[in-house]
Amino acid sequence: MSDTTYAATEEGSATAVDIARNPAQRALPLHRELSRVWANDKGLWGQITAVSHTTLGLRFMATAFVFFAIGGILSMLIRAQLATHDGAFLDTEIYNQIFTMHGSIMMFLFAIPMLEGLAIWLLPKLLGTRDMAFPRLTSLGYWCYLFGGLIMLTALLFGVAPRDGWFMYTPLSSAAHSPGINADVWLLGVTFVEISAIAAAVEITVTILRQRAPGMKLTQMPLFAWYMLGTSAMMLVGFPPLIAGSILLELERAFDWPFFDIARGGDPLLWQHLFWLFGHPEVYIIFLPAAGAMSMIIPVMCRTKILGYGAIVAAVLGLVFLSFGLWVHHMFTVGIPHMALAFFSAASVLVAVPTAVQVFAWIGTMWKGQPQLHLPMYHILGFFLTFVMGGLTGVMLAIVPFNWQAHDTAFVTAHLHYVLIGGFVFPMMAAVTYWMPLITGRSRIKGLGETAFWVIVIGFHGTFFIMHLTGLLGMPRRIDVYPDNPEWIWLNLTSSVFSFVLTIGFAMFALDLLLQITLGKREKRDPWAAPTLDWAMPMPSPNYNYASLPTLRHLDRPARDVIMPLARGEGALPGAPRGRRELLVTRAIGAEPDHVAILPGNTALPLVLAASICAFVLLMLASLYLVAAFALIPVAAFIWLWGRGMSPVGDLSPVEIAPGTILPVHHRAKQSLGQSGLVALLVADGTLFGSLIFGLAFLSVVTQGPAAGIAGAENFATLVGIGIIAALLVIAAWAARGMTRMAAMIGVAVNLAAILVLIWLKWTQMDDPTGHARDALRAVVAGYVALHIIVATGLAAFVANQHARGEIDQVTRGAHPAWRAWQGFTAATALLAMVILLAQAFA
Amino acid sequence: MKRVFALPTALLVAGCDSPLSTLAPAGPVASDIAWLWGVMLVGAGLITALVIVLIILAFRRPSETNARFWTHGMGLWFSMIVLTLLLGAGLWVGERIQPRDDEAVIVRAHAFQWGWEFSHEGPDGDMIASSDLLHIPAGRPVDVLITAEDVIHSFWVPRLAGKMDAIPGRTNRTRLVADSPGEYDGLCAEFCGLDHAFMRFSVQAHENWPPDLSEAAQ
Amino acid sequence: MRWLALTLAGPMIWAAAFTLVYGMHGVLCAGVAGPEGLSLTARLVLIASWALGLAAFVPLFMALREGDALTDRLPRYGTWIGLVATIYTLFPTAIATSC
Repeated sequence: MSDTTYAATEEGSATAVDIARNPAQRALPLHRELSRVWANDKGLWGQITAVSHTTLGLRFMATAFVFFAIGGILSMLIRAQLATHDGAFLDTEIYNQIFTMHGSIMMFLFAIPMLEGLAIWLLPKLLGTRDMAFPRLTSLGYWCYLFGGLIMLTALLFGVAPRDGWFMYTPLSSAAHSPGINADVWLLGVTFVEISAIAAAVEITVTILRQRAPGMKLTQMPLFAWYMLGTSAMMLVGFPPLIAGSILLELERAFDWPFFDIARGGDPLLWQHLFWLFGHPEVYIIFLPAAGAMSMIIPVMCRTKILGYGAIVAAVLGLVFLSFGLWVHHMFTVGIPHMALAFFSAASVLVAVPTAVQVFAWIGTMWKGQPQLHLPMYHILGFFLTFVMGGLTGVMLAIVPFNWQAHDTAFVTAHLHYVLIGGFVFPMMAAVTYWMPLITGRSRIKGLGETAFWVIVIGFHGTFFIMHLTGLLGMPRRIDVYPDNPEWIWLNLTSSVFSFVLTIGFAMFALDLLLQITLGKREKRDPWAAPTLDWAMPMPSPNYNYASLPTLRHLDRPARDVIMPLARGEGALPGAPRGRRELLVTRAIGAEPDHVAILPGNTALPLVLAASICAFVLLMLASLYLVAAFALIPVAAFIWLWGRGMSPVGDLSPVEIAPGTILPVHHRAKQSLGQSGLVALLVADGTLFGSLIFGLAFLSVVTQGPAAGIAGAENFATLVGIGIIAALLVIAAWAARGMTRMAAMIGVAVNLAAILVLIWLKWTQMDDPTGHARDALRAVVAGYVALHIIVATGLAAFVANQHARGEIDQVTRGAHPAWRAWQGFTAATALLAMVILLAQAFA
Repeated sequence: MKRVFALPTALLVAGCDSPLSTLAPAGPVASDIAWLWGVMLVGAGLITALVIVLIILAFRRPSETNARFWTHGMGLWFSMIVLTLLLGAGLWVGERIQPRDDEAVIVRAHAFQWGWEFSHEGPDGDMIASSDLLHIPAGRPVDVLITAEDVIHSFWVPRLAGKMDAIPGRTNRTRLVADSPGEYDGLCAEFCGLDHAFMRFSVQAHENWPPDLSEAAQ
Repeated sequence: MRWLALTLAGPMIWAAAFTLVYGMHGVLCAGVAGPEGLSLTARLVLIASWALGLAAFVPLFMALREGDALTDRLPRYGTWIGLVATIYTLFPTAIATSC
């Protein structure tokens, strides 16, 4: 259908993609035309409806910075309390809330959103496209993050914040030992915020794989994109165990389903496994984007190219996988046999190798080039000093016997701050100071930034270096007083004094940014003389990024040489002549042009949807569970409206992106961005399912509790019911392959029937989930299947509706591919769940 | 100038000998771990110094440098060799200090919010209970069977051995050895709620076993 | 697509072998282990699972291609990462005490 002239040649050949040059136009009218289509609405309303990656990326980062300041203030309170041995500054209840919130804020409300913001803001610019793949999803993620964060902060203001540690170990966090809503605030708030993490992971994956400039092969893309691809893959697999664990713990607290209660066959260690299955990859989820930023900045600061590109990509690959084999090193003291500890000890040691490869590749790059001491380079040196030491103490903690001594002491507090501030905050400060000219269009005021750097370095090492010793002298974490240990006083006092120096340093850093934003002089384009596309645009960057999209001829050249050709519309898809937001979609590996995606414009729908989810979360917090269930109806309605916004209406004719290259629009493409996104989402969804199955296996094999009663599945009626559901789901999956209105109607009917049978099974056959942990987990698996059938029903109904409106056919397929994929996934997981549950019942 | 350093140095030395210091081991288990720490400290110091020197040298004029030296030589081989030696040492020590079936004295530790209930075998074979004070023999391996009443706690006597969690529904086992009689301090290392900071206990190591507690009380 | 699959195959085999051995270890410790730890048979089962993981690398190595382009090198890197990780993280099956 598409009349393309590009030549998809062999892998590895010099040119895979040849797109002709568009005729040059005048830059200013092009800019005006694009601004009309891509700009945010005016005023405050414009901030609410904005879906632009530039606006939202910056807003993510700014909000994360505010949470960093709040988390920092909390840490000041902790240090004030610990400055003396019998500090009476805070009472223990408040102290426990404060350290719990300090950790939770820094992890979930600062680090993760900060890296999401950087990726959302930077990736489209770096890859040569105009926005992220799903702009409304970016916006939805932001509002979920903001609302979830505000819920947690409000709880802190009212003194009902979580107080069981950021790791929320049960039974301490169970209803019996932690009454009140404190723990619920954490479980519901963090899960709400994690919607933004999953959303970001999905769209980062799709944007990197499908929106690179034509000709930018996977093996040639800037290293930051490789790092973010690894990060987003890890987020898709790393967050679901946490979400699964949080759902289970909340179900236990709310409905007394005893997943973690030993008296009824549960196991508190199941929570620890699920939490750290997320928690350790999380550390690398935070580190990889920071390392990616450094791989971009160091070569520019050293006037050379990165050394060992291939080795660094291999190191990322190694880290992504290995980091999932270390989680038990947070659990070395729970009584696991030495052999199992040795597996995880070896993996924890081995993960230092890819980290070392990167660090030495960066140092080699500095040898190859000529390092110049601009401000970003200061922070990079701060990274090296701090992170290397944090990495080495990390290796120490991987050694089992030493871990038995150091675990849960101030030594670990010191280690993790060396890794997180060294491995994330310093690189982020380097990144912010490096990209600040592109963000503001202004240059900074010399001097203050350097001073801030030195104050931060001195304050940081003064605070945390001796904390290693404090830990080795036996000071455990999370105590508020130590009346019997005068030997810890001078250590703690020193840490406390320097921590205030550190705070002053961060305040100076923030002041420097504010001065740059308000008083800085106009900066010239491409101030660092960089070789990447992010600098090949006007400053500050316009919402549309590029007046015309870069193609192979614009890659691997100094940014300043391609700014003007792109601004004059010589690249692909110049301007916005059809009055809609368009960008070019390419293929995953070779980046051959595939189709033109039409993106949605400004809309308040993400805010409305996030607000309706927020209502659900608040009702759950208020224990109004029945009302909360009804609150899901508006959520479903807004999701339907969301889908309607993607309808194939208007001009669907092919688009000529350059002379001789004509591409279809995404409604008629073989594999649209939406389909790629659904695949990514299903990876996360499948991991969630896997986490539940892991829980089932763990409770069956490892837990030595009272035996479960005879499972209901041995009942004949249950077998018949399960058999009927299986048959119905197979029929639905078969119907979803048909591209007719009738097929969609059959899909709706069959899915509805499956739900009815499931409800019948629940009321007549299912064991009481409060009786035993395994019964409770079986009920959750059944609930997982039910939820997927309900969504499948909705998708089938949506497709039937699109048929009825005459919007879709064999070529313009609308939501049909999404329904088909979802229905297949639902059938597969449901059948798998049935096999596992039956096997368990009869074993 | 000497005076400036005198106070911190004195404090440091005093600190290392303090009752909860892992750097003042009083038995072979804790000594083995302290040895590991010493080795790792020296190694980490040398590696940090090496990295700092390499970074300082990078500020000379640009030089042709072999990429494989950095990524494969330093990144892969150097780190692999160092880490493998360390892992071997760690596993060796880990195996040495495992509890094993060798006639070790068995005592029990039961943790609750917020305190410890200990018990050991008395002269007539009955278990004798004691609150916040654990009796063990000196110079003999002792295996502590650790349980919990309510939430997760952690049993830790830094001068004798590493810590082991007390988890509801499980019985964990850890090995302590005290070289000589005396009193050793212990604490709960896992955050367990409001009075976590006060969940301290003592370990009394006795020359004679089973101990004559009436005498000790006087 | 082929090179991407080849690149990911090594680490995937490691992940599978790691899961298998760790899972087997849990099952064996919960089920058949006596007070003195794993029996010789149980340990041999673990070592066999480890060996199975290592054996899976043989066909993978045969599928690799020569060449200096990154698309040729990445599958080699991936395979070596997987192999080294499988050897390195699972060798304790042969030496460490258990249960």
